[in-house]
Amino acid sequence: MLQETNTKKMSVSVTDNINSFNNVLIHNTIADNQSEILKWLSPLEPRIRHQDVRTRRVDNIGERLLHTSGFRKWCDGAQYKGSDYEILFCYGGPGVGKTYFR
Amino acid sequence: MVDRLCDIANERNIAVSCFYLDFAAREEQSPSNILGSLLKQIVGRLEVIPDEISRTFQDYKKVIGGRGLRVAEIVRMLQTVTSLQPTFICVDALDECVEKNRLEILDSLRQVLEESPNLRIFLTGRRHIRIEVDRYLGGRAAVLSVEPSRDDIVGYVRMRLSKDTSPDMMDRGLQDEIIKGITENIPET
Repeated sequence: MLQETNTKKMSVSVTDNINSFNNVLIHNTIADNQSEILKWLSPLEPRIRHQDVRTRRVDNIGERLLHTSGFRKWCDGAQYKGSDYEILFCYGGPGVGKTYFR
Repeated sequence: MVDRLCDIANERNIAVSCFYLDFAAREEQSPSNILGSLLKQIVGRLEVIPDEISRTFQDYKKVIGGRGLRVAEIVRMLQTVTSLQPTFICVDALDECVEKNRLEILDSLRQVLEESPNLRIFLTGRRHIRIEVDRYLGGRAAVLSVEPSRDDIVGYVRMRLSKDTSPDMMDRGLQDEIIKGITENIPET
């Protein structure tokens, strides 16, 4: 009797393990597939360049630009349909800080 | 700028995707790689990859050697994902890619915008690009001229001086003199 209970317990535990193993397997397959799809969309990694810009930047450079009504309108417009401008184009000569302003 | 947008975006649950064009990397920065990268960043933060994308991926995987996406297909996918949520797309230094590619990117962004009223695009480039932006995106684009202010330049020079490797060689008087010398040469705007 005791032995039978133990066997039953063991079998439940094995089933649990298999289920959890399968779950991990399914989960990993989805995750692998996802990273494979992302790599397929583009091999380029612009985050690296972004980190570089971030470390070389001085805080608050170009801050005033973010307070112009042109910027505010453009930025706030993302949540409201039909805003005046969907695009903000900043132009300037080489080295004026277009990439670096915050 | 991208960090600033990310701060705003985090508060409001907006997706942010950015690309820095670079003349030195022009070989690999093809329109499909650039637009694909913008798409990848938006898709990467979604909980589930949209069916349209995973199905196409499975289909194209069967082709010998795998098959990449064409620009028109990426544009359609961008239309799909930017319709799901408010999105910011930033493309820096448009002047650093060849004209043919730049025009294709501008035209693609225009097509994405037409289907996505909650998309906002931020572009930077030199002055001469303005004509092309007007031609492709005219009427939809606000244009701002970026010029460094005196305060920005002083702030930057101070930062560089504070990182000098031999700070003992430079007293306060010399620092002030350097800043004065540089700021005196800022052209009037």
